[in-house]
Formats: sequence, C-alpha cells, structure tokens
Amino acid sequence: MDLDFSPAERDFRAEVRDWLSANVPDPPLPSMDTAEGFQAHRAWEARLAAARLSVVSWPEEYGGRGVSLIDWLIFEEEYWAAGAPARVTQNGIFLLAPCLLRFGTPGQRARWLPRMASGADVWAQAWSEPEAGSDLAALTSRAEPVPGGGWRLYGHKTWSSRAAHATHGFGLFRTSGARHKGLTYFMFPLDEVAVRPVAQLDGLPGFAELHFDGVRVEESMVLGEAGQGWSIAMATTSSERGLTLRSPGRFLATADRLLALARESGDPAAADRAARCWTEAEAYRLHTYATARRIMAGEAAGAASSLGKIFWSELDLRMHALALELLGERAGETPWLDGFLFALAGPIYAGTNEIQRTIVAERVLGLPR
Amino acid sequence: MNFAFTDEQLALGAAVRDVLRDACPPAALRTERRPGWRGLAELGFFAALLPPEHDGLGLGLTDVLPALEETGRACLPGPVAETAVAAPLLPKAAGGELCVSVVAPGQAYAADADLADLLVVLRPDGARLVQAAELTPRPGIDPCRPLFAVAYDAYEPLEAPAGPVLHRLAVATAAQLVGVAKELLARSVAYARVRTQFGAPIGSFQAVKHRLADVAVAVEFAAPLVWRAALALDAGAPAAGRDASAAKAAAGEAAALAAGSALQVHGAVGYTDELDLRFWLARAWSLGAAYGTSAVHRERVRAALLGGDARRWP
Repeated sequence: MDLDFSPAERDFRAEVRDWLSANVPDPPLPSMDTAEGFQAHRAWEARLAAARLSVVSWPEEYGGRGVSLIDWLIFEEEYWAAGAPARVTQNGIFLLAPCLLRFGTPGQRARWLPRMASGADVWAQAWSEPEAGSDLAALTSRAEPVPGGGWRLYGHKTWSSRAAHATHGFGLFRTSGARHKGLTYFMFPLDEVAVRPVAQLDGLPGFAELHFDGVRVEESMVLGEAGQGWSIAMATTSSERGLTLRSPGRFLATADRLLALARESGDPAAADRAARCWTEAEAYRLHTYATARRIMAGEAAGAASSLGKIFWSELDLRMHALALELLGERAGETPWLDGFLFALAGPIYAGTNEIQRTIVAERVLGLPR
Repeated sequence: MNFAFTDEQLALGAAVRDVLRDACPPAALRTERRPGWRGLAELGFFAALLPPEHDGLGLGLTDVLPALEETGRACLPGPVAETAVAAPLLPKAAGGELCVSVVAPGQAYAADADLADLLVVLRPDGARLVQAAELTPRPGIDPCRPLFAVAYDAYEPLEAPAGPVLHRLAVATAAQLVGVAKELLARSVAYARVRTQFGAPIGSFQAVKHRLADVAVAVEFAAPLVWRAALALDAGAPAAGRDASAAKAAAGEAAALAAGSALQVHGAVGYTDELDLRFWLARAWSLGAAYGTSAVHRERVRAALLGGDARRWP
C-alpha cells in the first residue's frame, strides 16, 4: 500500500496545471444553459481537445491519451482546482462513451467518439419519462422496426439535461413487452425530435422534454443488440454514480473555497462544519484512489458505487448550504448560489439517494427485498 | 499509487482472524480476561513494529492495519493497540514480550492496567515508564476494558517524545474501531434478515434498510482516512498529526453510528446482557473515548485547517 505518485504522474500533473493556468477563461464563461454560454462551452471543449486534454483516459485513436484512471483523477483535481468551466459534454463523455467503448461496434466508436471528444457533437441523455423516474424499467417510449431496416421512435422523455441545446441524445426505448429484456439502447440526432426546453430552479433551460412522433433512426444507432438496453444502461449508471461522473477533484476545490470562507467568517461553529466537509472531501478522494486501483485490476465498480453517490452528493449539498448560510444575502453575488442550485440536484439525479440506499442495503449488505 | 493492502498485509490480518476465531469466540469474552493473546504473540503480532534486530517483524503501522481491524472485529480484550504500539519505546528485549497499558495526556485512567506488566505515561513534557503502580478500579462502560486510576512513586523517562506515540495509538485505535463498526453492521444485518414482524423480515423494511445503508457509508469512508493516516505517520508526512486526528474522529463516529443503529435494529434483546452484541456496543463507546474523543480530534483538525495547514498528502 502506498500513496506515492510516480515521476510520470507528477509530470502529467504539472503539464495539466501549466496548460490550465494559461488557458482557463477569465472571466468565467456564461452558463452553459444559455444559447451563448452553450456555444462558449463547446468552443472550450474544442480547445481542450486540441491540447488532447478533453478525454485523457480514452484510447489515442479517439482523441485521448490512453492514460490510467489515476492520471484521469489527477487531471480532474487540477481541472477543478483551476476553476475551469463545467463540462458541457459530460453526459456524452462520462455516460455514453463508456458504453460505446464497451458495447459499440468499431464503426460506431470511430463515427461518434472523436466528435464527442472535440465538442462537435453534444449528447443529452433521455432516460426518465413522466411516469418512469425511479422506476425506470416502467418506461413506455417505444421503437418500431421499419421494413427494410432502421427504426421509428415514439413517446415522451423528460428531465433530459442539456437537450435544449445539444445535438444528439441517447436513451432506452421499448422494443418488446418484457419489463427489462424488452428495452433497447438507442442513439438519435435531436434535429427531428420535438424539444420543449424546461427551466430549472435557476430559471435557465437545463432540462428539456423530448417528444418522439415516429422519429426515424438508422439501424447503426442501436447500441448493442435489441433487448440488451437495460444491461447496457446499468453499466452506464454504475459509471454515472461512481467515480467517472463526479470525481473527487470537484469537491476538493469546493472544500478549499469553503474553508477560506469559514476562515474569513470567524464563526467557530461554521469553521467546525467546514473542517468536517474538508476532511470528507479528502475521504472521498482517498476512497476513489482505492476504487480506481480495483477497477484497473479488472474489478467492476458495481453496487458499491451507490455508496459513493450517496456520500459525494450529500457532501456537496452540505458544503454549498454552509456557504450560503455564511454569505447570507451576498450569496447571489458569488458563484456559490449557482453551485448550491447545482448541488441540490445531486441527491436526485443518477438514481435518487433513496434508491441508492436501497441498492446498498440489498446488494451490498444482503438485506431481503 | 497503489492504495490497496498488499498480500502480506492482508495475510497478517487473515492470520490474526484465524487465531481469534478459535481463541476469542464471544463466549470467551464472558469468562477470560485475555483470550487469544498467546496465539497473537506466537504470530509475532505484538512485536510487529519492532526492528528485526530486536526480534521484531520490522513492520510499519500501515502493515498491521488489517490485523488491528481484526482485533476490533473479534472484540479482543486487553491493551492490544497499546502493547503493539508501545513496544518500540521499551528497553530492548522488553518490547513485544511485556503487556503495556498507557495513560495519555488528558486521560485520567489507564485501561486494562490490571493486565499490564508496564505502564507508559504520556505527558506533554515526555513519556515515562512505570514499573510498579497502585491501581484503583474505576467504573466504566466496557466490561472487557476496565479502567484504573494509577498512582506511582518511581518512573524512568523514555527517550521517545509523547506526541508521535499518541498519534500512532490514536490511529491503531481507529483501525480497531473500523473493525468494531464492521462487526456491529454485520450482526445488525444478520439479525434483520431473520427477525420477522408483520409477516416479513424487518430487514425488508425501508426504514431499517436505509439506516443500515447509512452505517455502511460511514464505515466505507472512514476506513481510507485511517489507512492514509498510518501511511502518513510511517512516512513522517508533514500533516500526519492532523490526519491522525481526522482518522480517529471519523472511525469513532462511524463506530458510534454503527452501535446506535445496531441497538435500534435489535430492539429490546439488544439491550440485554444476554446477547453478545453488548460487547461490541461497549467497545465502540470505550474506544471512541480512548486517546481523544471524536470531538477532541475534530477540534484538532479544525484548528490545523483554520490555522492555515490545509496541505493535502499526497
């Protein structure tokens, strides 16, 4: 057991740090949920990609550097410490891409991954439906085969993050009646989908509803086999809950800023809570180093990723809630307000924390269903 | 960067587990004062931190973490962490052979002093070795970890400064607390699977599931802080004392949460002396208070961080 970074890992950290300090936009970009901010974030992704920093852990042929998960965690620590922009491509690069790399054909990978890595395509996810949220397998949107090849999509998806401005979507559609085995994983361009933007708590359209009225998609837009959608999606959600979507770097940076705020406040009770949060961010970081090592050794993240999702989402919310208490009416003049609104969503998305606790109880601890 | 125990570290833990499974079953906690100690001594566990030239295993604190966790899981009585951690301080040849109890600064009583051949008294101005002390039993919460007021006339000064010893003792105790918490969780899960009410195992109810899931989260994220603290102490890292406090606080709080939930899940039978659960409940509380309560260690972390020492290691 050790916690020593190799010389190569230290060099990589220094390279990332130098590049970010020369390139991170100042002032920060406008919100990615505005039309202007979306394009600015997309342009930022192109700059990252030109430096081969947008997807460092992917194979080189798709725009990455083929580095290890540990290097990717180092990249993330530096990225968030530098105050770099939120990733407008995150649903694609963190959720769809792992599935494409694992279940996609060589043709699908070559067609979609490089464009995703550069921000040329921005992907939105389309899981939830009005009557299928936590009970995702109850979804009713469907795909019908077209004679001669391809499919038509019908139905109604909702809470689709980034879909107001994105170019493509991915999600599950029913291709037969079987609850889990009747689901198929589709990718689709958004230009023929009826998109109704839905404003979030900040008033900006971070969500959208998607209405499918016979949208035509090619056969090559099916990921895996028809009927395999649920198992492929579960592989995605385990990465979503686990270390790929919310790596520790983001929370370490928040904890550092919170500590500075608590120090300024001179409030001993706030200092106590801030110190606890700082330590918990450290615990998540250390836990993730251990998890990364297991994944690199070939183990699956599995149900244990639910433990992490509960921990980071509730930590993030506690940190932002404390910052808002300390700032009072000045909060809106700082990035903490947007951060708080973002953190509020953490215990809901990627499977609510109630669902996560049930998963932990049943699949990690072995309690009866 | 390989933040996982080595095969050797895990093997020592497994060997300790095997010894304690036979020699320290729950029934022994009611009848014996020091079950399992002979077997652990034969493994070299109490001399693990001594250099090979003093007949030790030459290991670091990190190397014995899985073994310490097993002593917590088994609720092993006696000054386990104290004897192992204090061994390198003692005069040559005594370490690893003699049983040691420790009085820490701010702590009035010595735990398990009735078993100890030697007493190490840690004071801000240095450590003292006491050969003969008068012991007065004091009431305490843990029947297998009795407390004693100590009075002594003579002592020898020890060369080791008290601070690092105390940090190592806190981290070793934290490793035991992780084991105690895991055992409390395992016993709660086992009971919730078989105890039936309203025609269903109580573990099928969401209120019970979610409570135990919270314990699992607390234990899962306390353990890496303990591992890091041991590595930091072994490496002499700059903020190792702060990290030791973070580890003791997190492990103590996780064990307290596990104890509270275990008692609630077991209900009235958990509140009896008849069920073995009581030993782990008491150990969670007694070790939680040993070598600095969670509140004391939280305060130390706060003071370090607010004072400007927010260095991360690594």
